[in-house]
Amino acid sequence: MAKAKFSFDDLLLIGTRAELRAIIATSRISFSLTEAQRLVARIQTFEPPAHTLRLAIAHSYTSELLDPWLSLAAALQGVDLHTYHAPYGMTVQLAEENSALVKHKPDITLLMLQREDLHPDLHKPLAGFSTAEQEALRADILKRIGGIVERIRRYDVGQIVLTLLPALQGPGLGLYDAQAERSETMWWAGLKAAIGNLLRDSFQASLFLDLDEVLKQLGRTSFFDYRLWYSARYPFKSEAAREIARHIVDLGVVLKFPKAKLIVLDADNTLWGGIIGEDGIDGIALGPDYPGNTFLQFQRRLLDYQQRGFILALCSKNNPADVDQVLKQHPHQLLRDEHFAARRVNWLPKPDNLVSLAEELNLGLDSFIFVDDSDHECAAVRQRLPQVEVVQTPSRPIDIPGCLEQVSRLEVLSLTAEDMVKTEMYAQERRRREMRQQGETGGDGMSDYLTSLGMKMQVSFNMPAHLARLSQMTLKTNQFNLTTHRYDERQMQEFISGADWLVADFSLTDVFGHSGIAGLAIIHLGSDQLASLDTFLMSCRVIGRLAESAFLRCLLSHLSEQGFTELSAQYLPTPKNELAKTFLSDQGFELRADGSYHCSLSGAASLPGVALPIAVLVEI
Amino acid sequence: MSIFKQLQAVIAATLKVPPEKITEATVNEDLAAWDSLGHVNLMIALEQSFDIFLDVEDFPELTSVPVIMRYLQEHDIK
Repeated sequence: MAKAKFSFDDLLLIGTRAELRAIIATSRISFSLTEAQRLVARIQTFEPPAHTLRLAIAHSYTSELLDPWLSLAAALQGVDLHTYHAPYGMTVQLAEENSALVKHKPDITLLMLQREDLHPDLHKPLAGFSTAEQEALRADILKRIGGIVERIRRYDVGQIVLTLLPALQGPGLGLYDAQAERSETMWWAGLKAAIGNLLRDSFQASLFLDLDEVLKQLGRTSFFDYRLWYSARYPFKSEAAREIARHIVDLGVVLKFPKAKLIVLDADNTLWGGIIGEDGIDGIALGPDYPGNTFLQFQRRLLDYQQRGFILALCSKNNPADVDQVLKQHPHQLLRDEHFAARRVNWLPKPDNLVSLAEELNLGLDSFIFVDDSDHECAAVRQRLPQVEVVQTPSRPIDIPGCLEQVSRLEVLSLTAEDMVKTEMYAQERRRREMRQQGETGGDGMSDYLTSLGMKMQVSFNMPAHLARLSQMTLKTNQFNLTTHRYDERQMQEFISGADWLVADFSLTDVFGHSGIAGLAIIHLGSDQLASLDTFLMSCRVIGRLAESAFLRCLLSHLSEQGFTELSAQYLPTPKNELAKTFLSDQGFELRADGSYHCSLSGAASLPGVALPIAVLVEI
Repeated sequence: MSIFKQLQAVIAATLKVPPEKITEATVNEDLAAWDSLGHVNLMIALEQSFDIFLDVEDFPELTSVPVIMRYLQEHDIK
């Protein structure tokens, strides 16, 4: 069980970043500036950071004083941080060819603006404007923000993150503001929503990071240091600086670290209090009263993570029937059978179960977040599977609902339609597996099974509406991926609009449901009728259904119709893409001495004759 | 530890300079890192390390080791 109360000196004895993060997340310990610096020095004696993050900050108030806190957040995450602060007060002008900001080659460009920067009229009381004037002001501001982001976006500045300094004081109309017709609070809420919509719909790789959330968390008096604000244009108390720096580094972690995809949950003392095998269904703590309400709230929070696109799995040392009984019959249990993509309820060592979950779900172990209350299980997983991120459930029930809040990899920078129904898709996949297993035991062949799925593939070319998902697939897909090239949304946009590129994707439906967009190919169209395959990948959830063959054949016949004579391709091995190794030769590509693969498109010879159990529909 | 030793450690850590570069006579102009930003950081560090509350009016005054030492002594910091 984790110790609940820690002093600063205790922290200096901790030997790993993961443990430090876990303790800091639950112990509510606050640091002075010098303590933060001492802790950074201590962490620098650990193994060196695995990832580099280049951050550029454009600001209209002092941002340099965030540095010690950025260093602390980066050190705790194992990030080698390189920060560039643009000259004070410049924002738009600095995104120019050869400007120091562009030359810094940032992964993240952070805009730290004051509300008043958005429009000169914001210096005046908002209540002084009629609702129509307020409306016009909002439209004007959105246009300005669009202009700023558009201008910066022209350059390769990484993820753009826009922040606005929260209001220094409460709303203009005081206590009455919440119900006033010209309410300041409401107006800002509307503006923030509009900014969010604008960035989501019009600009790739841009995010509105709402610092009001930090203000809410800490309260205005803990957030602002008015002395520093009025004397040095630096607004933050240490606690606020630390929290903001943490969020910024979190974004870097999401961009640079392996993507988390799955949360593997223990059951006893994690999803409910007590031990089902001993306490029985009526004895476990789960319900409206303490401590059961903390577990209930944690389950509620897990459903939120599911909406962010993470899938859930259960891994518990118990008799399957006992756990089943809770999932099916407990009146307060929120997570039911359908919420878990896979389950391991048995008495095997947990690391073994994680390995078999990875195989079943076709996910890499480095996409796993393992949540368990037991010292022993956490240690076993850390030791045998260091690529799995381990979160130990806190010993105090009141800390449990928030125990994943500071896991950076559970933040997301975009959400696609696929993310929001991911668990459902995995549940469909589980039913497919069950059907296949029945087929195998009943003596029916694999092809009968595939035919029985009634698969239909929809192929689209150069579809801008799919941009976010297509970029996401290049960033997340490791296994069935010929080249593992990673492309952000901006680069993907260039492929889609480029005349000498073809971007094709597919989605698959069958009797169990719709896969969402699950495969992508990026093809360079050479001037000499030679095409080359830059990227060919497929999401693991459609593996094993011949979708890759059907997709490739569709591409070959499309290229052939367009007059191309040859498609060349490459297989670039990584530690994870063994699965795709023989794909090209299986599909009839010829391997040349230089390691490249070639497929002739002239004549009908290029199209293999075996019929696939998939009906393909092309949409251009 | 004497006040000077404590102060020396705080300044060294905050401004990232070797402690031996800080003497009882050091003024801000002696250290490149003690610029306006370094100064604000130092004010924050002084407050947190010596558990005092500085007024905005004190900030521009406290620009040398002797002045800070006198200030700390006047406020009964040991």
